[in-house]
Amino acid sequence: MTNIKVIGVVIGTLLFYTLIANAIPQVQSEVPEALTFVGAVTPEQLVTAGEDLYQGAGGCTACHGLGTRAPNLATDEAGAGTIGARCGTRVPGEDCKTYLHNALITPNAHVVAGYEPIMPDMSRTLSATQIWALVAYLQSLGGEVTVRSEDVAAAQTEAAQAGATGGAAAGAGAAFAGGSLDPHELLSAGGCFACHKLGAEGGPIGPPFDGMGARITAERIRRGILAPNADTAQGYAAVAGTMPQTFGEQMNAAQLEAVVSFLASLEEGM
Amino acid sequence: MIEDRRTLNVVGVAAALLAAAALAEPALAQEAAAGAVREYGDFPGIGGRGAVWIAAQVHLMFAAFVLGVPMFAVVMEAIGVANGDEKYDRLAKEFTRLLLIAYSATAIWGAVLVFFLTTLYPRFWTHLAEIFEVSMWIYAGLFVFESFTLYLYYYGWDRWKPKPAKYGHLVLGVLLNVWGTAVMFIADSWLSYMMSPPAAVTPDTAPGTVQLWSAIANATWMPINIHRIIANVVFGGAVAAAYAAFRFLHAKTAEERAHYDWMGYIGNFIAISALLILPFAGYWLGREIYEYNQSMGITMMGGFMSWLWIIQAFLIGVLFLAANYYLWVGLGRIPGGERFVPYTKWMLIVLVLGVIVWATPHTMIVSRDELTAMGGIYHPFLGALGVMSAKNTAVNLMILTTFLSFLMYRRANKDLVVSWAGTGTFAQGALLGFAAVIVLFFGIYGYFVDPIVRIGFSVYMVLAVLAAIVAVTVIDVLISRGADSRGAIRWGSMPERSQYALFVLTVTFTWLMGLMGFARSGIRQHWHIWEVMRDTSEWAATPALGYAARMISLCVLIFLGMAAFIFWLGGLVEKPALVAKAAPHPAPRPAEPPELSPALGD
Repeated sequence: MTNIKVIGVVIGTLLFYTLIANAIPQVQSEVPEALTFVGAVTPEQLVTAGEDLYQGAGGCTACHGLGTRAPNLATDEAGAGTIGARCGTRVPGEDCKTYLHNALITPNAHVVAGYEPIMPDMSRTLSATQIWALVAYLQSLGGEVTVRSEDVAAAQTEAAQAGATGGAAAGAGAAFAGGSLDPHELLSAGGCFACHKLGAEGGPIGPPFDGMGARITAERIRRGILAPNADTAQGYAAVAGTMPQTFGEQMNAAQLEAVVSFLASLEEGM
Repeated sequence: MIEDRRTLNVVGVAAALLAAAALAEPALAQEAAAGAVREYGDFPGIGGRGAVWIAAQVHLMFAAFVLGVPMFAVVMEAIGVANGDEKYDRLAKEFTRLLLIAYSATAIWGAVLVFFLTTLYPRFWTHLAEIFEVSMWIYAGLFVFESFTLYLYYYGWDRWKPKPAKYGHLVLGVLLNVWGTAVMFIADSWLSYMMSPPAAVTPDTAPGTVQLWSAIANATWMPINIHRIIANVVFGGAVAAAYAAFRFLHAKTAEERAHYDWMGYIGNFIAISALLILPFAGYWLGREIYEYNQSMGITMMGGFMSWLWIIQAFLIGVLFLAANYYLWVGLGRIPGGERFVPYTKWMLIVLVLGVIVWATPHTMIVSRDELTAMGGIYHPFLGALGVMSAKNTAVNLMILTTFLSFLMYRRANKDLVVSWAGTGTFAQGALLGFAAVIVLFFGIYGYFVDPIVRIGFSVYMVLAVLAAIVAVTVIDVLISRGADSRGAIRWGSMPERSQYALFVLTVTFTWLMGLMGFARSGIRQHWHIWEVMRDTSEWAATPALGYAARMISLCVLIFLGMAAFIFWLGGLVEKPALVAKAAPHPAPRPAEPPELSPALGD
């Protein structure tokens, strides 16, 4: 009996700790998604990819936005506006794009007054393409996006010549659907037709793809793919939360935009 | 014969370790020559990461035990030599016996870890071996020295008992600690290099060009060494206390119960005493991590791991509560202890409030919905309790309360006879009260100053608490001189429920060790070697706390299960001898006062 009591106390204590640790919010540290753009990348694609990095694997929100460790970027900072609005005047002689790029790879060159030089050199953890995507996103926060596909192409060429160390996992995103940019192939590869109807194809569980462009905007479609639980389509509350949240990680930015553009173009049933 | 087999087993495992190290490189070299170096292996069911996680964690648990126990075993033996009291020598030998039978398991799990690393992470292992190969050879050599020093130390115990041979035996005990500490320092250099490689090392640096000493003496090496030395003592004391509790519950005679009651008390005292200084080593390690790389520090404290520290606070709260409960129940076996029992409910309130404040979240990763619901980045009410000012205040008051429990325990059966007893006792109370006021003052004042100033306040709080503890202890030693005894401690009369508190303490210490191991390793995120070698395996993402908790619980279960089994095996052989030896010394001296620690007697 004593042995059973001892085992009970040990197992009970272990179960208690395990349950508590499983009851709190579960946050996994994701690996930064490699970015591979096929052809000419649009500013919108870069902004989307940059936002994904900013909110997730880039780790930016651990400091920016708290108001104590680092300047606010997405919200006003000391009356100077968001980062996109103020970046062009931050360092004399540097335009917004140059300043933001330098701030990411040589962060201690111009530390904002009142803050400690704690920003890491992001080129040690992100690829050159990812850094340009971040620059584009930060520019979009109140300013004009001036990052162009030429910047990205030059960075990718440079990285390829240097052995692409920063983007060691480059190409991983292209593995989805064999790197295809055909929206129908992408939707098939993602298993979307198991729930969504497109013409004669697909099931009735989720909102139909038919006429989706007439019902919601491209931005809303993009958000629905990247963060399926952010909104619930009218009439589908019963199946809310069932859509996988991994498509944003499986597809690269170009594939994502191809799907978004395709769905946004579906204004009538097929 | 059984002992011989044990010796052969450990030597065999040591040989396997050396063989593993020797075989690994030629095998990898052949693959490289064929141009087909495999990056990762696969392990069925739990994957390569899970396999290495379990092997490393269980190995570390056994290693912490076999490194921590010799430290206090040799101190016990030295006390026995100094005061001529046989019971200290007997206790030291029993601690060492636990060490001996846990040593094989440490070596076995070490070998498993090496095999897993070479087969599941060959690219990473090749990199590490290329830099640290010389230190790996030295490690293996020291391991052999450590093994044979341990055998000499334990098996020569009775043979070298008469002085002056006893002094030589003590030197063996010290040597055992020297070898063990050196082995740990070497292993720490490998893991700390993974966290904080020298700044000059980049992904393009050929590992063969990295200077060995620069890789060893990296930014976090020494803080981790110091932190582990203290933590090993905590862990060793806790596991020894659980062993004593188990033997207490199964004791057949009053002598056995008395002996294991005392052993459990000593184990708990060692664990809690070392625990009180562990946070300072942890603070140093944390500061070094921040100084090495702010991003890593922020990931650790404010990033995806922020909830981990809430769990840690909860676990340490359990430790404080269980340790104090054990002491309070222990007052019942001391004549005169009943005088202090009424105070315990107030101390319990302080401890519970302290745990609640300490475990209050502050800066967490939150979703947009949560942000909107809170109306800002901090919770409207709990945000005020989650800041460092409140947490530091809570922790320091909890430390003072625990010290007060020890003080009550020490004073329980004494009637002071010195002329200044009243003044001295008042001074003790005033010192503790003054320390509490200082802690509260800086805790409240911290809300009205800049963060950089507030951080500095924690130093004043800690200094006030430490100074009070030292001064009150000195007064207590002096004031207790010649004190009349209200009666001997009734060793062996502890109620059984108190022993379960020791089990909770041990499980919690072990779980906490696993949790902190996850924190230290997890802050590298998707890097095998921080910003030098990226983890490109399918297990590269650092898991959430829920998954980590399940792995930690599994590791703790494996460790405790194996420890229980080998202690039981050891007991089959050694028990008759212990009981036979116990007979002439049935229990600690009847007139012994309830010292703060019998090992640190007046």
